[in-house]
Amino acid sequence: MEWIKVASATELGDDEAKTVKVAGSAVALYRMDGEFFATQALCTHATALLSEGYIEDGCIECPLHQGRFDIRTGRAMCAPVTVDLRTYPVKRDGEDIYLSLAAAS
Amino acid sequence: MSSGSIVIVGAGQSAAVAALTLREHGYTGVIRMLGREQHRPYERPPLSKSVLVDEQMPSLDVLSADQWARADVEFLSGTEALALDPARHQVRLRDGGVVEYEYCLLATGGEARTLPSLPREGARTYYIRTLEDALRLRAALHRGAHVVILGGGFLGLEVAHSASAAGASVTVVESAGRLLDRFVPASISGWLESELAGAGVQLRLRESVRDCSSLEDGRLLIETSGGGRLAADAVVVAIGLVPNDALARGAGLDVAQGGGILVDAHCRTSDRHIYACGDCTSQKRPGQVMPTRVESWQNANEQARTAAAGILAAPAPIPPVPWFWTDQGKHNIQILGAPAADLDYVRREDPSAAKALWLGHRHGIPVHGIAINAGADLRALRPLFERGQPVQLDDFHLPGTSVRAWSKRQAADAMVGV
Repeated sequence: MEWIKVASATELGDDEAKTVKVAGSAVALYRMDGEFFATQALCTHATALLSEGYIEDGCIECPLHQGRFDIRTGRAMCAPVTVDLRTYPVKRDGEDIYLSLAAAS
Repeated sequence: MSSGSIVIVGAGQSAAVAALTLREHGYTGVIRMLGREQHRPYERPPLSKSVLVDEQMPSLDVLSADQWARADVEFLSGTEALALDPARHQVRLRDGGVVEYEYCLLATGGEARTLPSLPREGARTYYIRTLEDALRLRAALHRGAHVVILGGGFLGLEVAHSASAAGASVTVVESAGRLLDRFVPASISGWLESELAGAGVQLRLRESVRDCSSLEDGRLLIETSGGGRLAADAVVVAIGLVPNDALARGAGLDVAQGGGILVDAHCRTSDRHIYACGDCTSQKRPGQVMPTRVESWQNANEQARTAAAGILAAPAPIPPVPWFWTDQGKHNIQILGAPAADLDYVRREDPSAAKALWLGHRHGIPVHGIAINAGADLRALRPLFERGQPVQLDDFHLPGTSVRAWSKRQAADAMVGV
């Protein structure tokens, strides 16, 4: 599995997200309780960057229509979203955050 | 009556959410859903946007395949309910059939309000309520076509942006003096108007249709009260919605003045075995003197959950702060709470930079929020709306501060204050 460095841990506070570029693809990176997670960048419902959404209780709410996804599993939690997000494995090495596109689920 | 069965009349957003919620509450009886259309419940918001212009048709299902299976409804599509008999607990169908029920849920939605001069069935006349309506309009939105939109409300403006994006030349005729005057302050109306102009849309405010006739080439000639003569390849009528309350009226249920099936806080009608939810209702809400109709996606969902809980005598969900969105071309506008005449507004950022957030308050108590491309910021304010306590607005507008952090600080200060 190829790990690519995408960010430094200090770039995000808890319950913050940003869109990072990984090998030419955009991915949403989240931080919750000091842990990092990654999902596909776009909402499965409309064209919106999830990193511009609102994080609460382990979920990301889309900034356009408030569809909610579980950040850890990518699961679509409430209308209007019905299709889950792809998630990507993330690992932390010191202050460096690595992501792998290979094992997307 | 048929014990242990629920009939849902209607198969839209509210009907689907109600069915799923009944199952989530553990209901195991039969749920029959009567849909006039052939489709399973689908989302209507995209009908004025992506369905009109996107190359690829979006997925419109309200429920995922898995949710639809869990809702486990006996779906009678292409079925029209003609009459409701509360005494016999029966719904009579156009095809002569009869459906019995223990509880009936009316989720009949509404019809597009028609202009007498432009009948629903007219060639080159378009109303948008169903998927077929939208697909028919889509076929008419070609480059160079002149599309006249009657009504500059949310729907009309969404269609204006879509039609313009499809290459049509667009004129909007609106009788009010400014756009969305019942929903947003004048500065936002001004911004909407300049955005439409930027998209090449002609806007005729303070005008209405005086006459309509057919031209030799088949186009329609719309004459406006302001002296406009508009030759239209397509006329879209977007002047509001009429609630489908005929079944309820026929059954002798209470109907609100001005239309809408009258329901209480539990979405129950004047018959204790009949509930109603969504666009077809008029509900008296806390703090209101008169019942109101709320035509929104959120209301369709929330009333569905309330009605399902009411039918099963489960605790009613807490009504959320009203929330509404509209996608106007490339801009996403969201509204939280409700406007009032006596509010003061503070603003962060600037709509000319395509992002702004307004907070309307009464002596510091948040009442009305409007976001242009700032949905997450508006979402961060929601806890303050729910709390209903005054907030400290001095630093709300300061650039560089995060709304989320500001909102959390307000909440924390309020806790300390307690």
